[in-house]
Amino acid sequence: MVLFKLGILFTLVLSFFWLFVFGPFYDHFAVQLAVFAAVIGWNSLRFSLRETISLLKFCLPFVLSLFVFGVIFHLTRLFGRQDWLQDTLIKCFVFPSSLIFLKILLTYITYLDILNLPISMRKRVGLITMKSAFQKGEKILRRFSWYLDTYSMLKSDGRIKSGLKKYACLIIALYLYLYEEIENSNRLLKNRYQHIYEVDQ
Amino acid sequence: MKIQKGKYRLENRNLHFDLIDDLDFKNNGSCFYFRGDNGFGKTSFLEKIIIPALGVENLHYLYIGQDIRTQLYTIKALLSVQGYKVSEMDEVELLKLWINHDRSARVFILDEFDKYFPDYQFIFDWSESFIQTYIIVTHRSHRPYDGIAQKYRVCRLRFELIEFDGRLKNVRVKKE
Repeated sequence: MVLFKLGILFTLVLSFFWLFVFGPFYDHFAVQLAVFAAVIGWNSLRFSLRETISLLKFCLPFVLSLFVFGVIFHLTRLFGRQDWLQDTLIKCFVFPSSLIFLKILLTYITYLDILNLPISMRKRVGLITMKSAFQKGEKILRRFSWYLDTYSMLKSDGRIKSGLKKYACLIIALYLYLYEEIENSNRLLKNRYQHIYEVDQ
Repeated sequence: MKIQKGKYRLENRNLHFDLIDDLDFKNNGSCFYFRGDNGFGKTSFLEKIIIPALGVENLHYLYIGQDIRTQLYTIKALLSVQGYKVSEMDEVELLKLWINHDRSARVFILDEFDKYFPDYQFIFDWSESFIQTYIIVTHRSHRPYDGIAQKYRVCRLRFELIEFDGRLKNVRVKKE
């Protein structure tokens, strides 16, 4: 049963990427706009509007830098191409759509699903650790952002520079957090499993 | 920076505060102790009323939150971006570097810092040369450190639950 469920999720991910990211509907701007709206709506219903807004805020600097490069390439007619702007605009929707879509689908995989997978316990522990860390990471992002807003060191530069510095800090903090959290959770899970196994013996 | 006495409502946290006295955080040389039981809104009062007010006045401050373990990740990231090698530093060294790096701050807020560091005299040693006002949230009734008591005017603020209807808490905040 669990393999069937994971198979469906995997098929959905592949279909999404085949249709909208690499495939036939990639350069249909109206379709990309509709997909973006649908994914945003789905995320808001599954989680909350607030969570969706914070996710979009997280994507914003990446999307903006993508857009800026697109404009520069368009103005300089890089490689003789004249469709840089159109292509960039599509990418500005494809990137957040695919990220949010993937994120939503992954939340349908539960801890029980992982436990029921026909793989070794060592691998299950690894998967459980990853899921738990990324779930926590998502929640912690808002708190990190809040703390960073309190640091006057980040406000001393101009608005754009401060904003970029803040996002750099956000990404580094999240990376450090996930790294340590994964290590700690993994150690804890292994220890508990080992203890229960030894008690059973 | 003054916070006028009066009623403050934090609807999304189900907290209504009745501030009995004016609070002046720009008054040089004050040390405020916030006390009260868990859940009476001390942290919310700090994060939703005092910190935004400091921001509006553009008054630089240092804030160490209750979830210091979480905050340390942001401090590490911040110092890394400033070009410091932080991988070998322990918590105390990180805090020292961060505090020394932000000497424009005039207000220092510590939210239950004594939970992690029961003896935190070192915070005052590092910061009293530039900090004018300390705001300290604590559950302990210890007396201020000698240096602080001599140099700063100590003001104790008590958070008291007046009414609780199962959802909304009415909290009185007054000087002791």
